[in-house]
Amino acid sequence: MRGTGGRAALVVLALALGARPALAQQVTLGPQFVLASYREVTSGLRYQGTGIGGALSARYRRFSAAAAVSRVSFDPTSGSSADTGFTATQVDAWLAYDVAAYASLEAGITHRGADPEFDAQSVGAVRVGARAFSEIGAGATMSFRADYLAAPHFSGGGRAPVSIDLGLELDVRLAGRLHGTAGYEFQRIDRKTNPGGTGEIDAPIEQSLARAGLTVAF
Amino acid sequence: MRRSRLLLVLAAGFAKPVLAQAPAPSQNATLRQALQAYDNVDFARAIALARRALLERMSGPDQARAYELLGFAYSATDSQVKAVDAFKQTILLDPDRELDPRRISPKITSLFYSALGQVLVVRQLKVDSARFVGGQGSLPIRFTVTSPARVRTRAVSGAASLLVDSAVVTGTVNVRWPARLPNGDPVPAGDWLIVVDATAGQNSFSASQPVRIVHGTVDTLPHLTSLPGYQELPETEIAPQSWRPVGLAFLYTGGALVGTLGLESASLGSSSKRELGIVGGAALVTGFVMMLRKPAARPAQGNILYNKLLHEQIVRRNQDIAKENVTRRQQVQLTIAPLSKPSGAGR
Repeated sequence: MRGTGGRAALVVLALALGARPALAQQVTLGPQFVLASYREVTSGLRYQGTGIGGALSARYRRFSAAAAVSRVSFDPTSGSSADTGFTATQVDAWLAYDVAAYASLEAGITHRGADPEFDAQSVGAVRVGARAFSEIGAGATMSFRADYLAAPHFSGGGRAPVSIDLGLELDVRLAGRLHGTAGYEFQRIDRKTNPGGTGEIDAPIEQSLARAGLTVAF
Repeated sequence: MRRSRLLLVLAAGFAKPVLAQAPAPSQNATLRQALQAYDNVDFARAIALARRALLERMSGPDQARAYELLGFAYSATDSQVKAVDAFKQTILLDPDRELDPRRISPKITSLFYSALGQVLVVRQLKVDSARFVGGQGSLPIRFTVTSPARVRTRAVSGAASLLVDSAVVTGTVNVRWPARLPNGDPVPAGDWLIVVDATAGQNSFSASQPVRIVHGTVDTLPHLTSLPGYQELPETEIAPQSWRPVGLAFLYTGGALVGTLGLESASLGSSSKRELGIVGGAALVTGFVMMLRKPAARPAQGNILYNKLLHEQIVRRNQDIAKENVTRRQQVQLTIAPLSKPSGAGR
């Protein structure tokens, strides 16, 4: 599973970088600091952690592409029933098309891998959704997105008929080519499993993730 | 005898101002004596001396003055036929001769005009100064023909003779000369003579006026940098400060908060909202700062479109001006000015 996540990240980055000459109207790239909370199955299984990440985006006329990678070390919170933490590597990628001056439709992928592999669920899915964005001031843009996570796959098996990913992003031009970015992402995956064929049980997964960083626009 | 003397004095009194306004003293001594006799109201002596002077060698103007003196003296002595004959000679010698009707008695004036109607002369030939582009203007020429006659107006320079107008006319005539050769080209620069020939039966008269024609270049039009009365508008505008930035920040953050609360699983319990608090707080602060900041200039689409139309109009006008200037550079500006008449012109 870890190898699959690494390949997916490379594919996303290669797609974004390969597309860069054609989408050369504006490309941004920069590091991020990541803060995240993770809950799974029951209210007692809670983790929080911090990590680093990076973001890459490109825009050409009505088309835009973005990719974000983060690596977060989760530790059990106080009162959590978990004994050990784990490290999650998450890759997200979007391709979007602006259907209006304030809205776009998007599709992409998300993949989160856990290390050690069985300390948390690794999950991969296809994103399909929409995004609304507005310029709230000179060089400051906010967006809100809602994606449906289709066809999810879990390292521990199971299915998820309803999986939603919400996002809130802020981009402020600080000086010249330097931008400050902040993003919030909330994932709710309504996973159901059928251990031993005894019937389906709920094993939901929730993750809240905040990113803050700097990007340079080219 | 005393009554006759009084009438003679009255007649002489009417005529005296005209003789007094003669520009230069006569060169002929006999004519001077005749003028003196007329001033002394001795009309018989004035007539005799004037007739004797005409037998002597005199210049053209002196001859005209002698005949005019005879006309006045005959008028004063009621010899109307002789007066008219004398005035006819005066007019033939000096066609442009005029009497001032405010200072000359109506009797003498009527005899003068009677003489004028009995001779064929071209009087008061006037050519105005003119400046025009060759082919687009003309030179005004006007003159007076005293009797009905076939009048041909020509422009002559060396061997070239261009017919300006030909018609049977009388009275004041106005013609216009376009100063073009038969092939349409402007006439060459140089000195030209406007000649007016009047013919009626055996009688003919000719008057002329020299003019000088100078060729010049036609002024070209300057290119436009703006249209009079139309000014460019600023292509950016500053929007007024508003609550919109913080409102949008609340809207987006609120959407994320509502979405998060709505999607949280009941079986997992409530989350800390730490991540949303950080990012949402940053968004609200950003919105608040943006609300307080002076809004950035934004494109004014209406003004941009207006300026674009204005520029297109200026470009179109300049293209027309460029075409017009190409034509103007191929044109010739003619400047025509009358020259002073040589003495004795006409006849």
